[in-house]
Order: sequence, then C-alpha cells, then structure tokens
Amino acid sequence: MLRRGQTPAALLFLAPFLITTAIFFFYAFGRAIYYSFTDFNLFNDPRLIGVKPYADVLGDPSFRRALANSLVFAVITTTLQTVGALLMAVALNTRIRGMGFFRSAWYMPSITSSVVITLIFLWLFQRRGVANYLITQWQAFQPLILTFLGVLIAAQVAQVLWERSRRLPAGWLDPALAATSALLAVAVTAALAWTGVVTAREVPPFDYQYFADRWISVGGLRVLSVPMLVVIIQNTFTTIPTLMLFFLAGLQNIPGALYEAADIDGATPWQKLTRVTVPMLRPVTFYVITVGLIGTMQMFDQVAVIGSAAPGDTLITLAYYVYSNTFKAGAAPVNMASAGAIILALIILVMVAAQRRFFPSEAP
Amino acid sequence: MTAPAPITPAVRERWLARRRWARAAWLYAFMLVMSFFFLGPFVTGLLSSLKDNPNEYPPTLNIPQLTPAVIGRAWAQGVQGSGDGWQGGLHPGRTVTFEVQVQSPPGAPQAPPAVTLFPYQPVSLVAVARQAQARDYATLDTREVARRGDTRTYRVTVRSPLLTRQTGETVRATLTEPDTDLRARLRNGQTVPVRLDTPQAQERQYELNAGQTVELTRGPAGYTLRGPVFERTPLQVDVQRGQRIVGSTLPPSDRQDFGRSFAFRNVTPGVLGYTFNNYRRAFRETADPASGRSLFFSWVLNSFLYAFLRVAAAVVFCSLAGYALARMTFPGRNLIFLVAVLFVQMVPSQVNLVSNYVLLKDLGLLNLWGLWLNGLVAAGGVFLMKQFFEGMPRELEESAAIDGAGPLTTFFRVMLPQAGPALIALSITQFQGAWNDFFWPLVILRDNASFTLTVGLSNFRELYGGQGDYGLILAGAVLSAIPVIVLFVVFQRYFVDTGADSAVKG
Repeated sequence: MLRRGQTPAALLFLAPFLITTAIFFFYAFGRAIYYSFTDFNLFNDPRLIGVKPYADVLGDPSFRRALANSLVFAVITTTLQTVGALLMAVALNTRIRGMGFFRSAWYMPSITSSVVITLIFLWLFQRRGVANYLITQWQAFQPLILTFLGVLIAAQVAQVLWERSRRLPAGWLDPALAATSALLAVAVTAALAWTGVVTAREVPPFDYQYFADRWISVGGLRVLSVPMLVVIIQNTFTTIPTLMLFFLAGLQNIPGALYEAADIDGATPWQKLTRVTVPMLRPVTFYVITVGLIGTMQMFDQVAVIGSAAPGDTLITLAYYVYSNTFKAGAAPVNMASAGAIILALIILVMVAAQRRFFPSEAP
Repeated sequence: MTAPAPITPAVRERWLARRRWARAAWLYAFMLVMSFFFLGPFVTGLLSSLKDNPNEYPPTLNIPQLTPAVIGRAWAQGVQGSGDGWQGGLHPGRTVTFEVQVQSPPGAPQAPPAVTLFPYQPVSLVAVARQAQARDYATLDTREVARRGDTRTYRVTVRSPLLTRQTGETVRATLTEPDTDLRARLRNGQTVPVRLDTPQAQERQYELNAGQTVELTRGPAGYTLRGPVFERTPLQVDVQRGQRIVGSTLPPSDRQDFGRSFAFRNVTPGVLGYTFNNYRRAFRETADPASGRSLFFSWVLNSFLYAFLRVAAAVVFCSLAGYALARMTFPGRNLIFLVAVLFVQMVPSQVNLVSNYVLLKDLGLLNLWGLWLNGLVAAGGVFLMKQFFEGMPRELEESAAIDGAGPLTTFFRVMLPQAGPALIALSITQFQGAWNDFFWPLVILRDNASFTLTVGLSNFRELYGGQGDYGLILAGAVLSAIPVIVLFVVFQRYFVDTGADSAVKG
C-alpha cells in the first residue's frame, strides 16, 4: 500500500542518472563495439570490415608489448599492495593515541593526483636524483649499519639467554629486550664512529639511469622494464594506505574470542596471522584484489605524464595503446583503438571472473 | 650455587607490563618511520621546489630560501632595484649594490673579479617575444670596499639608466604592436603614444617588442619612455685560478669551477622572486602575450570550475538516484543497480574513449562543458548515496506518509536534510576525483587555455622536463596538490571513511 505507484517517481528520480549513463556509457559502449568492426579513422564514414581490426591489433607488436606490460604491472602491483596493506593494517590494529595524525600522514600520497606523484617520482629518480643519492648514502654507511646490526643481535641473544636463565619466558623478538638492545647498539656504534674505529667509506655516486631502455629478462624474454618498476613502486606507495583502511575495517570485525582460543592453544603470532587473521579477512581481501586488478589494468596516467622521458616500449599499457591509436596524427586507426579497448575490457572481466572462481570470498 | 629466586606473580606482572610498554614504543617508532616514508617524497619535492636548482647534487635540506636572514636581504635587494621588496626587479633609474668576498692567498692573482650580467630568456608554453635584458642596458662598476687578511670585499654597483629627460609621474605600461609610433597600454586599458625624447631612447626603440613592460613618465610633453622594466638582474661573478669566492650578499644559484664561478640568477629578487621564484614563474612564464593572461592561472580556474560543477551535479543527481535505488520499490531495481552502478565501474574508460570523443566532437563540446556532461552522474556517487539511504530508519518515511507526503516531498523535506554527512562525503570525493582527474580532461580538452591543471602539468613535464628544469615542474605539482591537501586536512574524517574508492587507482 505504502509503495504502490512508486515506479513513476522512481524513474523520475533516476532519470538524470539513467539518461547520462545510457548515452555516455551504453550507447558509447555499443558504438565502440561497432567501430571495432569497421574501417573508421575519424575522417571517413565507417564501413563494416568484419574482425580485421581485431586481427590487426593482435598482430601489432605494440599491442603485445602493451598487453605484457599491463599484465605484469597488474599482477605485481596488486600483489604488493595487497600484502603490504594487510601487514600494515595488522601492525596498526591497536588502540593507540595519535592514530589520527599517523593516518593523515600516511594518506597523503593517496589524496594527491597521480600526475603530481608521477612528477615528483620522475624528479626523485633522475640520474642525479634523491633516490640514487640515498642508495649512495646507504652504500657509504654500510660499515656503521653492519656494526649496529651485529651489536643489536649479539645484545638481544645475550639478554634473552639471561632472562631464560632466570626462568622468565622471553622470546627472541621480545620487545622490551629489543628496545634495550637497540639503544645499546646505537651507543656502541656511535662510540666506535667517534673514535674512528668504524667510519663511513668513500664510494662513487650511484649513477643509474632508471628511465631508460632497461629490462629485467627471464630466459632472454623481456618481462619487466626498469621504468615500469619505478611506476610499480610509485603505485604501490600511493595505494597501500587506502587499501590498509579496508583491512583495518575488516580487522575490527574479527571476534576477539578467536584470538583468545588461539592463545590458549599456544599459537605463535605467525600462526595467528595465517590461521585466524587471513582466513577471517577473506571477504576484504577479495574486494581489495578485485579493486586492485581493475585499477591497475587501466594504468594510464603515469604513462602519459612520463611520456617521452622513457622509451615507448618500456611503459606502454593497454590503456595508453588505446589512447595513442585514437590520437595519432593523420588518419587515426580508431577502429584498432576500439578493438584494443574491447579486448582490455574482456581481459579485466576474465580476470575478475577467474579470481571469483578460484579465490574464496567468504570467511570460513 | 644458589638457585634463582622463584618467579612471583608480582615479578611476572611487572615483566609483562614492561613488554606492553615496549611494544607500544616500537609501534610508535614504526609509525613514525612510515610517516617519513609516505610524506617524504612530497615534502622533499615541496622543499626543493623553493630552490633555484632542485637538481643540485648531493641533495640537501639546507634551503636559503627559508632562512630569515637571507629573506631579509632578498627584500632589501628588491627595494633597491624597484622600490618593491616583494616583487623585486630592476627599474629605470635605479642603482643596486651587491657584495662578494674573494679570497686571494699569497702568491695567487690579486685582481678583482670579472663581473657581467647575463641574459635570461624564459622558455614558455606560448611563443613569447624576446624580453629586454638588463645586460643590454645596465652598467656595472666593481670596486674594493674592505679587506680582512686574504679576503677582500668587492661592491658591485648595477645602474639602470633613465632614457628620458622629462620629469613627472612615473606610470607602468606594456608596449603594444607599434604602428607609425611606439605605443603602450596603461594599467587602465588606455593605449597611448610613447615619445622618445633622448638619443639613448631613440636608439633603443627597435629592440623593444610588444608585450614588454616599461615605465613611462607623464608630463607636459605627454608620455615619454623612461625605460624597460626588468623582472630579473642576472649576475655572473668569476675569479681567476688560485682565488675563491667565499661569500656574497645572496647565496649563488649555481657555482662552478670549484668556487671560482658564481651565477646569481637574480640579485634583485624581492621576497616573492627569491623564496617563491618557481611559483611566480609558473604563472608568469605561461602568459599569453596577446592577452597577458596566464595559462597556468587559467588551468587553476578551469580545475576549480570543473570540480564545482561535478560536486553540484553529484549532490543533486546522485542523491536522487541513490534514494530511488535504496528506498523505492519498482520493477527492474536490482537490474539497474547491477548494470548501471556496479558494471559501469568495472569497465575501463578507454572502452568509451573513441565513441564519446566522436560524439562530443560532433556536438562541438570538446571543452569543459563536454567534460562535465561526460561524467555528469558518477556511478560511484550513486553507490555511496544508496548505501547511506539504506541505513536510514524506516520511521522517517512512515511518518511522512501518514502526513500525506508524496515521494518528492518525502525526499526533499525529510530524507535529504538528514543526509548532511553523506553529502559532505560525496562532495569531498567528487571534488577530489574531478581535481585529480587526468584521462578524460586529456581526451576532451584540446586547447591550452581550456586545460585543467593535471593536463597542464603534463605539458609542463614535456616542455621543461627534457631540459631538467624541475623548479617549475615541482612548483606546479605543489600548487596543484594544495587544494586537495587543504580539503583533506579540514575534512579528514570524511576522507578516511569514504575516500577509499576514488583513490585506489592511484
């Protein structure tokens, strides 16, 4: 009774959304499919030529490079950002004062545009940039770092053995002992440095050109370019905080009783992570991976912004392939662009479907 | 041997308490380190955007542009050169002094440094007529003014000549295309003929191009050319082998030859020209000579306009659609949700690239309005509002129904007023999405003046990145990021709770 006759009002409410979506999505989608079977080049009247555009696309070396780049990028980035976000969420899943500040600080890369972050990373990763400088510093300070780590480990082992001799159940990673060991290691390292026993060594500046035609190959097959590796670092860096929030929300919903039961059984932190946390977070992980795959397969901004700063083959993705074919000078092969776009959409749908098929989305 | 003391509950409790405190300390340390990691790139880029040369190696956090004493000197130099401590520059009739300290050990040459002015011609996104250079007009005088041990202080005096004998009010103007006479446009838009009343002025007239900023003197004879206005006074100081430059009024922009060659890109910077030089350049060096309008400024305005249009459309249309999908019963509701909300978000934008580009091109909408129409009602926004309205209690609608309210009244008078927090969250995500949007603006906006900031910055990279001029690039990037950061700081709670979706594509 209350709801009878709501259809006209509902359609009225939905009209702006449905009309816009119908024109700019569904009509456009249909038209894209149509173009992908024609000889359209932006200036002629399209004429149907069957599946030739698809054959041309699949035969185009640029497309195959773009396909390989996109798949490698999507798989590596999604894996890194999912694992990274989960670990950080677990580490942060504590009621601690000042959480708001840290969340703000960590969130900074996510709120700025990919254009801004890409420009900053281009600057950081120049031959004489900050990244190479930090690597140089790391190499120079190796002796001090190794000294610190050595003293830290020795002090920790000594303290744990001492505690255990007093029948206290200290673990090797005991946080209180680790704090004492760290302070001692800092003091010893500082003293040795001050007396000159251990010093930073002289090293030539690390001089690596990242945005060049350089590849990581497997069996002579180019798999991952170094410029793409930089983009992977950048993309992971910007998305981890966002995905971490999903995991934090998921962690709030895991019953504490499960962890208490695990404690009674004497489970280690690693066992709690792998047998309680990860299984219970399956719905969130499923969502995070889905969103990650869809987003990373469409990577475009970084390629376009970096542009000529990196050789074309190193960064081209399917999304950029579609764009560059649409806006080529002269008669643009937009039919191939449409075919490439349809293929990209199909790949994404297949990936999501495969993930749904092989990866459980329900908590046990 | 004495056996260790038995473990008492008090000992164990104290032991466990120490562990809790230590674990918290480690967690704080970890979070602090990660804060540096996530904030580091942007903050480093921000600080370096103030430097004359962000590519200096080794990189350092020593930034004279942020040092109060140096800023004070930049102000004083600006006052000397133009009377304006903020903008600086070198104006006609002005005299500027600049000091350098040169160390000449015994046995080394004792000669004064060689001082020259060098040219500065900005590279620009628009073809810019050559600007007059201080080097071609000003005179230099170098003399020793102090000595302490091996170190001598030299004072360089830069004089910018007056080209008119007339006295009267000084006004600033911009030269226009000459006809039979030299002409200039005053600040009020009026165009006036310019007289050249000295031989020095007459011999200079063919060097001055349209768009050149000049000072005129208004007097009984009309307007006479007082001289060109120089935004910068670039100075080069070189000493011989064996000598070393050990100090100067302002730190050098570049130093070469192991401290024997110093370049100062501007010895009359003013505060804005010193600390915010790269930011000022972003606006000025993208100016269209015909209209004087800054392209960068246009990009900022375009981004704001686009973002506000997106927010306005979202607040109205996403609310309506979200409410209908959440609270109204009608055939096909679930299908519409699945297909028009969820499926739409899974399909890449590139699928519709050709079609929508061709459609908007045919409609003559390859501009900001076409860009807005293309994404008028965001599926993500509809999803957000649907989730929100689904969480509202039924009693509100039942009360309204009892009072005889129809759907429109129920929505606008009862439900929408309750939706404040959701509308704020929606506005924030849509603003951020529009401000950061790159793909569709790149496709649809086709001329320089209509670009949004993201597309403009991409052009910056193409033009300035190749020559390593990252000062301008970093300044542009920071300017682009500021509105979103301000928005985030003010509305942090909404961002963290709802910004997740729009940020994932990073």
